[in-house]
Amino acid sequence: MLTAKNRTGLIFFPAYDWAISATHPEREERLLYTQDQLIEEGVFDIEGIFEMKPDIATETDVMRSHFCFPDVKKVTTESHMISAGGAIRGARAYLNGEVDRAFALVRPPGHHAMKSVHGNRGFCNINNEAVMVEYIREHSNIRRIAIVDTDCHHGDGTQDIFWHDRDVLFISIHQDGRTLYPGSGHLREMGGPSAKGRTINIPLPPSTSEEGFLFAINEMVLPILHDFKPELIINSAGQDNHYTDPITNMNFTAGGYAMLNDRLNPHISVLEGGYSIQGALPYINLGIVLAMAGIDYSHVKEPDYNAERLAQDPAITDYITSLRKPVLENYFGPHADYDRPPDGEFATRTKNINYDTDGIQETQQEYMMMCRKCRGVLMIESHSSVNPLSAGIEIPVDACWRCRRKGASLLKEAVKSGKFQTIQLIDRPEKNYERFSL
Amino acid sequence: MLLGIDVGGTHTDAAVIDSSGVVASFKAKTDHKNLLNSINQALQGVTSGIDKTKITNINLSTTLSTNAIIEDRIEKTGLFISAGPGINPQSYSIGDCTFIIDGSIDHRGNIVKPLNREEIEKGIDECRRKGVKVFAAVSKFSTRNKEQEVEMTGLINNDSDFISMGHSLSGQLSFPRRVATAYYNSAVWRIYNDFTNSVEQSLADLGIKAPVNILKADGGTMPLNMSRQFPVESILSGPSASIMGIISLCDITEDSVILDIGGTTTDIAIFASGSPLIESNGVKLGGIPTLVRALQNKSIGIGGDSEIIVSGKEVTVGPVRRGPCIADGGETAALVDALNYKGVISYGHRDKSIAGIKKLASNSKLFAGRIADEAIKYAVNKVKDEITNLLLEINQKPVYTIHEMLEGKKIKPERIYLIGGPAGALAKAIAGNIKAIVPENYQIANAIGAALARTTIEAELFADTSTGRMIMPSLGIERQIEKKYSLREAEEDAAAGLSEYLMAHGVDVEKDEIDIMQASSFRMIDSFYSSGDDIRVRCQIKPGVTMKLYS
Repeated sequence: MLTAKNRTGLIFFPAYDWAISATHPEREERLLYTQDQLIEEGVFDIEGIFEMKPDIATETDVMRSHFCFPDVKKVTTESHMISAGGAIRGARAYLNGEVDRAFALVRPPGHHAMKSVHGNRGFCNINNEAVMVEYIREHSNIRRIAIVDTDCHHGDGTQDIFWHDRDVLFISIHQDGRTLYPGSGHLREMGGPSAKGRTINIPLPPSTSEEGFLFAINEMVLPILHDFKPELIINSAGQDNHYTDPITNMNFTAGGYAMLNDRLNPHISVLEGGYSIQGALPYINLGIVLAMAGIDYSHVKEPDYNAERLAQDPAITDYITSLRKPVLENYFGPHADYDRPPDGEFATRTKNINYDTDGIQETQQEYMMMCRKCRGVLMIESHSSVNPLSAGIEIPVDACWRCRRKGASLLKEAVKSGKFQTIQLIDRPEKNYERFSL
Repeated sequence: MLLGIDVGGTHTDAAVIDSSGVVASFKAKTDHKNLLNSINQALQGVTSGIDKTKITNINLSTTLSTNAIIEDRIEKTGLFISAGPGINPQSYSIGDCTFIIDGSIDHRGNIVKPLNREEIEKGIDECRRKGVKVFAAVSKFSTRNKEQEVEMTGLINNDSDFISMGHSLSGQLSFPRRVATAYYNSAVWRIYNDFTNSVEQSLADLGIKAPVNILKADGGTMPLNMSRQFPVESILSGPSASIMGIISLCDITEDSVILDIGGTTTDIAIFASGSPLIESNGVKLGGIPTLVRALQNKSIGIGGDSEIIVSGKEVTVGPVRRGPCIADGGETAALVDALNYKGVISYGHRDKSIAGIKKLASNSKLFAGRIADEAIKYAVNKVKDEITNLLLEINQKPVYTIHEMLEGKKIKPERIYLIGGPAGALAKAIAGNIKAIVPENYQIANAIGAALARTTIEAELFADTSTGRMIMPSLGIERQIEKKYSLREAEEDAAAGLSEYLMAHGVDVEKDEIDIMQASSFRMIDSFYSSGDDIRVRCQIKPGVTMKLYS
């Protein structure tokens, strides 16, 4: 009988009765063939691998990381709460010592969901990893967390949520935004004024193969992680870099994904995208599960795997090699913003956010207080094609007294002004998550 | 009249039942070296006063295959497996005659790589040299496409007395379980068939002509003829005999716990709305997972003969049994002796029990009364804890739809049914606030259950309208279907397939006995266009009894 080296929890929730629409790639049977493969391989019988039922995330769980407009109920369905709950179950199993590793194979995905949520963008409503990270920080003393996003699409939602957070290192490896949705994730995006170098983007050219991905992991991600010394590593395990994926242009493989996971050695993985549901997902998921559990994955190969056909063009190899220097510089020696405001004042930025799935346009003004002692209080003003002007105020985890007072006064003014339809408050020190409406 | 025989670990019980109830019963000691002897004794005993020609059906539950596997008295079996990509196939090898054959089938049932015939021939040569005569042929995803198993079998055939093909044993997925199930099916084939031949001879000698069925772990039976091909299905039928006995003795309609407190162990089963729960994947045999369907049942090392151990101020019971309790003439103070001491029961040599507990007390710092109290308390708590754990496990079982996640039913037992020697004595303490019921005739519930169990079967249908193929692997059904083949047609085909299969084995099935457990249809999308439907149906004939004995 096979035994797992690492006790590994699998939170498998395929949501067989939920889809965005009848022929949408994020649809009912997305994980059906993965389940077939995992059952046929006998994965759930392996000693040390445990199948776990997801939790159902509460509104509080969501409100800890998101400003939902007009409220959580309006922008989520049960499927989102169960999917986020799956990630929470994984975290819970890790925190209470039930397992050494956890993999939440859940859908719908979440990494395109940003701090403020008006609807669905990039198949995502709420950010499963972010909800999980805030659950972890609320229920444990773990603070330094690294999220490595290996989905083919830039993890713009996760980047947005942790943009100002210097305790969370976010690394995204993806197909270059000039060639794929959502179009972001360029080298120059490297974190907010107080968290420079805590967002790292590695945009890879189309047709990158195993060689290129593993180079990025070995030569860029691992040295950065080694220096950051996270207490916890999370992998946003998107699987659409696969050579058979219908909506991307990469040449990655199931065996490659297993190797990548093995080297990254994440404590918790959360499934993101991946739409080659017959030709790729069954094999990639099997590979990741085996790698996490510490079981030989060298026999995991797609039926149509052909090493020669998937060999990497030398020009691509050269280009990826040339990324190494700027990526490492972004982490080890990032330049501060020339216009960074002094302590106690607000840095502002304006964002226009497109919700492709739901066809919503959001315009957002963000105010981030510069603080020497903590992450700083955050306020956003947001309106969209479905919601009038609304506001979100966040007093972050471990906020200093000045920021806590500032947050309270911002809330008071916002309520008094009467100009916001909805105001969402995230008060992490007080564990108070509230919604005020006109 | 219906005759049931249950060969158990300690006793072989037999019962004869007609419409008026139990007509005769008999208890013989089980002789592990000669099970046939025990069966003959029980047969003669139970039929001595009745008209043997009036026996219309015989159901037999036997530990033969189970013991053969657990005690490693099995025949050397050539195991040919083609695994394709995935987990390292070496980890599936059993015994020293496993041959990994190159070739693969994917999860849709497409042949990806043909079998390497040279490797098969080499394996056959080696088996010939070693004198191996029974075989198992299993390929990954053979429940979606049996072709490679059939091909391997074709090549092995000339050198073999018997071959098990994985897909014929179950339509369920799980390659490692299929490998183990097929392997053990072949490994016990000869010993099982020799045994059934002898049983048939004995019955003929006694002048009993009724058809014989073999009890399975899922609480149902299969015709003896069928069991000759599927001997592995006869494993672990013991607990299910008792559970089926309780079903016929009690009118169970709600969520319940069933406890069978024996000499060595207590078996726990859970009923949901009056029906016994079935293990979702298959039973484990000696720690090895198989595809053999079984009633969910958990065995713990607490029984009437479980040894009482006093260490300091702590008193524990079990999991060891050192022979019978003192009341039965044994040497070691056991749970029954504690109950005797307290006067909760008066069983066997009660005076010896009392002396035994007193002797335990003299060697410890505790009074005899305290030891007896603590021993009973320990046993009761142990059983209660296990019930709680089992319920937790069942209620936390993963589900895969939002509907089940939100509306999923939780099991909350309203009654506890107890059988076995100390059942009456422990009923109140174990049940607490829940209503406890100790049925009459419980001493032979196992034989009653064996006698009254009905035929059960389970089968899967898999259809793919894009390739136009429908298969029911375990029933050997495979045919072309049209593009518009629907879930409804699939359900009808599954039910028809099941009843025709049983009919061919001499069992009549009413249509309403067939229960569709799962039916799903997924529209498959290729590049944003529908390419066909993936249809899956799982159906069964549920375990049940032919007659209820309660009034």
